[in-house]
Amino acid sequence: MNVMSKIRVGATHLAALKAALPHAVLDEAWQTDTQLTITVKLNQLPEAVAYLYYQREGWLSVVVGNDERKLNGSFGLYYVLSMEGEEKGYVVVHAAVPEGKEEFPSVTPKVPACVWGEREVRDMFGLKPIGLPDERRLVLPDDWPADLHPLRKDAMDYRLRPDPVGDDETYTFVNDSKQETTVIPLGPLHITSDEPGHFRLFVDGEDIIDADYRMFYVHRGMEKIAETRMGYDEVTFLADRVCGICGYAHSVAYTNSVENALGIVVPQRAQAIRTILLETERLHSHLLNLGLACHFVGFDTGFMQFFRVREKSMTLAEMLTGSRKTYAINLIGGVRRDILGEQRTRTLQLIGELRVEVGRLVEMLLSTANVDGRVKGVGILDPQIARDYSPVGPLVRGSGHKRDTRVLHPFAGYGLVDLGINVGEGCDVLSRTLVRVAEFFDSLSIIEQALENTPAGPILTEDFTYQPYKFALGFTEAPRGEDIHWSMTGDNQKLWRWRCRASTYANWPVLRYMLRGNTVSDAPLIVASIDPCYSCTDRVTVVDVKKATQKTVPYKEMERYCRDRTDSPLK
Amino acid sequence: MSRTPTTDAFRPTSGITRIDTPADIASMKGALLKDIQRSAYVYRVDCGGCNGCEIEIFAAITPIFDAERFGIKVVASPRHADILLFTGAVTRAMRMPAVRAYEAAPDPKIVVSYGACGCSGGIFHDLYCVWGGTDKIVPVDVYIPGCPPTPAATIYGFAVALGLLGQKLKAETHVEGADERVAIAHPNVPYNLRVLIEREARRMAGYRQGGDIAELFLTLLGTAGTGTLSERMARHAGLENDPRTLEILERLKGVVTAAMAGAAS
Repeated sequence: MNVMSKIRVGATHLAALKAALPHAVLDEAWQTDTQLTITVKLNQLPEAVAYLYYQREGWLSVVVGNDERKLNGSFGLYYVLSMEGEEKGYVVVHAAVPEGKEEFPSVTPKVPACVWGEREVRDMFGLKPIGLPDERRLVLPDDWPADLHPLRKDAMDYRLRPDPVGDDETYTFVNDSKQETTVIPLGPLHITSDEPGHFRLFVDGEDIIDADYRMFYVHRGMEKIAETRMGYDEVTFLADRVCGICGYAHSVAYTNSVENALGIVVPQRAQAIRTILLETERLHSHLLNLGLACHFVGFDTGFMQFFRVREKSMTLAEMLTGSRKTYAINLIGGVRRDILGEQRTRTLQLIGELRVEVGRLVEMLLSTANVDGRVKGVGILDPQIARDYSPVGPLVRGSGHKRDTRVLHPFAGYGLVDLGINVGEGCDVLSRTLVRVAEFFDSLSIIEQALENTPAGPILTEDFTYQPYKFALGFTEAPRGEDIHWSMTGDNQKLWRWRCRASTYANWPVLRYMLRGNTVSDAPLIVASIDPCYSCTDRVTVVDVKKATQKTVPYKEMERYCRDRTDSPLK
Repeated sequence: MSRTPTTDAFRPTSGITRIDTPADIASMKGALLKDIQRSAYVYRVDCGGCNGCEIEIFAAITPIFDAERFGIKVVASPRHADILLFTGAVTRAMRMPAVRAYEAAPDPKIVVSYGACGCSGGIFHDLYCVWGGTDKIVPVDVYIPGCPPTPAATIYGFAVALGLLGQKLKAETHVEGADERVAIAHPNVPYNLRVLIEREARRMAGYRQGGDIAELFLTLLGTAGTGTLSERMARHAGLENDPRTLEILERLKGVVTAAMAGAAS
């Protein structure tokens, strides 16, 4: 059942681009009513992306590389822009990089948001971005051989494990401060929580002058496995495991991308169930972050209280899906579980309890005397920096930008519910925390609305066939912001290419600017405020740029200093 | 290394060395367990997990499950640890940091491999950028499976690690008797019709709940009672407040009606 109406959202953007850059556009095609892919000449790629980004209110979602040599003799580059001005939709700028001359003009000098995407394309496909100032690896580990690019179709079997080229970490860190500094390794293991990450702060006394960090310690190669070992439905369960906290958002984004590519009409009831589960996931995730925010300002009672209440949201998830985490509930074309009368009643009851208990806790948190002092004016994300780097979620909403995929590009069942965008004007940690609090209560309301008006009918459609080489975007608003997936179907019941971009991927590049100018004791708090599925560092190496001395501080000591703010470990 | 991999290249530990343990490790660990009794310090080593495991460990140490009541405390440094808890499928980038954390913990130490990825590499077991589980790089004492393990399973696993509980092993094998036959479910309903009903139930409510509802419907359909099928469905206990289940039952009735009309024509 492939349905495509005559609506063509994005036509005005296309016309404007053609007027601004005559002869640049080679081709255009709509994948869905609101998704337009424009093919441009490779040498005009930077101008085309920059024009749509700054002149047409586009925000960069993701940069996708694709090895299409077997199909058309070239590599594809796709710069996905979320258009958030008058005409809302997705515009994808595509350019072909011919085989044999594997380089392309970098867009990053014009649009800084492209920096991670282009570094990743270089790692995974070996395409060289000409003019990209940052020559470091992004995704691949230091012990990976040079010139082996995993996502090239002819590069290697997905199971190939090349011998490590060495046991040393060789990544270099960047420091923009003018004074002399020293580079020292630190991290990536840390006590407080989750993913490994590796940080460096460059300081003058107590003030942070600059910061750099390395991520991708958890690169496992999911995109490769999806196109080699798994079928379409299996990837929905793989996508659940992209992230243990907001995995369901990825699963929905992936299924949406395939459904959009094939024009599958998902039953309304399945869409409503997806919405309910996405919001259930947001409940537990926001409570997690609010708890950690308490922890980092030295309010551990609050931390334990938020985690106590958070268990109610875990009970809710378990009751609705059978699992506390990794819901495994999606299939292409629908979902695997219904919400019957008994579950509906129990959900409404849990929602009521959460509303009361969290309301009480939030009141407690905000009226605690020193919380305000610790979070107000700290970790400022300048709205202009946000505009340049396209961060997502409560982070960008805390800086006054109205970006929320649920409202701008309604997906799943969000068209059926009443929802606004919560923004804060403070640009600081407090502002982001308040946005999360407001969203928590919105989520409760969305679940209630969706349960009130759940459409009747089936929860799964099997009325479609897979067609090769169709591609489209799928997107969700995860608790941390927009998750976006780009999928292209293959000819062997497997994906040709799956590109998955998690929300935090878009948020890391701005962290450096948020850290600058703050004190060392606020660093863990600022990092936690982007809710980075949440990483910090085991040890933070502090380099005093004036004294030219260096000192390694255990992470726990940094965290203690963040909480107590006495006995500076730097003295 | 060749770009066309041989079987050798797929060997999980090709090119990396696994740490071996001293010969007298068993007696050393016995002594450790006796010394720490019920006060165990745990250090978590994330070797590239998805956070699902980490978040459930968090749930296990916070008020509802509260592992600290058993003396289990998460500590900040491997140098303080009695137990090392490894999560994740061991990505290439995390191999050396994980090995360093292992070496930093004082001997003897107990290693727990946590979650499906830690135990075996899980869904990522044969991928190019992982080594496929904790035991490929360090010796493991206790495995806690699950994706992710629940907090209850986590506490149980700790109890096993501390020697408070033994590993539960249970197996049952059914031996078919000489004249034992499996009874056909719902012999009064034609097989092809049953398939149609079960398919429709799955489309309406999935395998799990759809299976239950199809079973209920087939029982109502196959047994005699007073009143029409619709009346019997409506009278069934617990359905008066469940419009969705009634809707699905009506749909299944529609399947039967359509099949009968098809057979008659």
